[in-house]
Amino acid sequence: MNDSQWTIGIVILVLVSFILVGLKQKARESMEYGFGGRYTGRIGGGAAIASNWMSAASLMGLAGLIYLNGYQALAYVAGWTGGYVLLLVLLASQIRRFGKFTAPDFVGERYGSPAARFLTAVICIAISVIYCVAQFKGIGMIFSFLFGIDYRHGVIYGGLAVISYLVLSGALGVPRNQQLLYFVIITSFIVPLMWLAHRLGYFWLLPQFSYGEAVGDLARQYRIDFAAPFNSGSVYEWCALCFTLMVGTAGLPHVLSRFYTVPNLRDARWSVVWGLFFIALVYWSAPAYAVFGKLIEARMGHVLPPAAARSMADIIVLKTAVLSGVPGWLAGILAAGALSAAFFTVAGLLMTGAASVSFDLYYRVFHPQASELSRMKVAKGATLALGGIVLLLALNPPGLIAEITAVAFALAGNTIFPLLLLGIWWGRANDDGAVAGMLVGVVCTFAQPLFGSLSPTVAALFPLTSSALCGAPLVILVMIAVSLATPPPPEQMRRFLASEVHGHLG
Amino acid sequence: MSRQDPRYHVNLFRPKEGHMKDEVLIILIVLIGWAVVTFGFQILLAFSRGRGIGDLLTGLTLFGLPLHFWFTGQFLPLWFIILCLVFNVYIDRITAYHSRKRDRTYE
Repeated sequence: MNDSQWTIGIVILVLVSFILVGLKQKARESMEYGFGGRYTGRIGGGAAIASNWMSAASLMGLAGLIYLNGYQALAYVAGWTGGYVLLLVLLASQIRRFGKFTAPDFVGERYGSPAARFLTAVICIAISVIYCVAQFKGIGMIFSFLFGIDYRHGVIYGGLAVISYLVLSGALGVPRNQQLLYFVIITSFIVPLMWLAHRLGYFWLLPQFSYGEAVGDLARQYRIDFAAPFNSGSVYEWCALCFTLMVGTAGLPHVLSRFYTVPNLRDARWSVVWGLFFIALVYWSAPAYAVFGKLIEARMGHVLPPAAARSMADIIVLKTAVLSGVPGWLAGILAAGALSAAFFTVAGLLMTGAASVSFDLYYRVFHPQASELSRMKVAKGATLALGGIVLLLALNPPGLIAEITAVAFALAGNTIFPLLLLGIWWGRANDDGAVAGMLVGVVCTFAQPLFGSLSPTVAALFPLTSSALCGAPLVILVMIAVSLATPPPPEQMRRFLASEVHGHLG
Repeated sequence: MSRQDPRYHVNLFRPKEGHMKDEVLIILIVLIGWAVVTFGFQILLAFSRGRGIGDLLTGLTLFGLPLHFWFTGQFLPLWFIILCLVFNVYIDRITAYHSRKRDRTYE
């Protein structure tokens, strides 16, 4: 076998072994799995949080943007880790005590409004679709890289592969082993990086630290200043992006439900700390890929022009590894890690999205008498329909992986986050405020494409990837104003918030 | 708002006595630590460019990286872990304290 066949072989082996391990686990124990896995303690809970979080955006998109924009792209590193602070201190315990674990459920219960529930469900489905488009782009790029085909064919074959994988594991009833997934992702990301550092002549044991020397070498030998601050964007853009990613984290539908897999509140809180550590391990390493990628290009004597660099930035992790001559099996491990992260992210998002179509839209709004069976059918159909929509959108991806993902974060930060925040921390917030807030939030998210050509100020204040720095506070103000102008929510809900969610009356 | 029973008012900036007051205090402290270190540093970096502090931040190196790059790329994720750790330790302590006082606010 030659190198690329080895690579493809390893990828297939890893994906198949997930199914086999899952089946074995299922046969061994017939436990209730619920939202994704049995309880395995705080560290296991942390690994589950981290593997749930890792996607093509973290493993491919992040390094790509740092490779392109240097310091400016570190906003993604800070934004995708700092969001967990907000989530932990402001929302995690309270939402758990509230007892609703999807955003539409929470909004429907807290604000007591079918309209607000409907809007939330539609927004959550939109977030899932946008997020999946980015994953499909990653899958398509890996497929086109592995098989040497063009991107469009790559995304079609990759999309079909991920949907068949979803159908197959759904039909077999395979439980997801989140701890194993995290282990595969982290190993496949860091071992090739160590190899790379060794090959380029840096300290290989901790490439997260030794890439610093490579940054220095780039500046000294090749006059490429990788670290210069705010070279490809302003400090406003940096802060807006970072803030958007942070509030978006707390509003993402699939992140929220993670807090329900751990049986008690205290362990749930502590597993966030472990989860954040496991996530940070990847984010400490991703810049190293970007720097080594740049260095290899510089050493080989052809630094790509901006347009060409942009078109291959999302595959920089794999490309760097192959250019430096890693053996085929190691490239396969690297590709397999990124692919499994993308596969499982897509699987999770499409399934929750389809469940939301079936439950929140079909059952709650259109057919309240629908039977269990017909709801199941709708859910299965919706999975395929959503997959098809994502595939169509991914054929002409509107940006880089991390940029597309950032739009999903902006939408979540502008709509779901304010609703959760005020819903928990301000008893007076009511249904009219919620509906008004969500509508304003959607407009804020898409303000740049909608009104950007009319007003340059709007385009500057609400960049598409980073609209929540101005958007989220604006939505919160709108919610407060509208809530105060309309009747307060029912006494019963206010009592529930005060006595159950915020503890004993003292 | 006076016609409503004031015991049922929930407001982040007007917490009830007991567990919630202690909880809100640590939440606000952590949020300030989060905001100042993340965004304050970037603003300092942008406005001190070409001046003494700015040159120091970009000129000094740690692990081979310029100080500002190390701070944002490596220290910030660590700082967030520390914040979560501090928050959890503190919440565990006030929970134990208030459950001794028979203030069964938790779980």
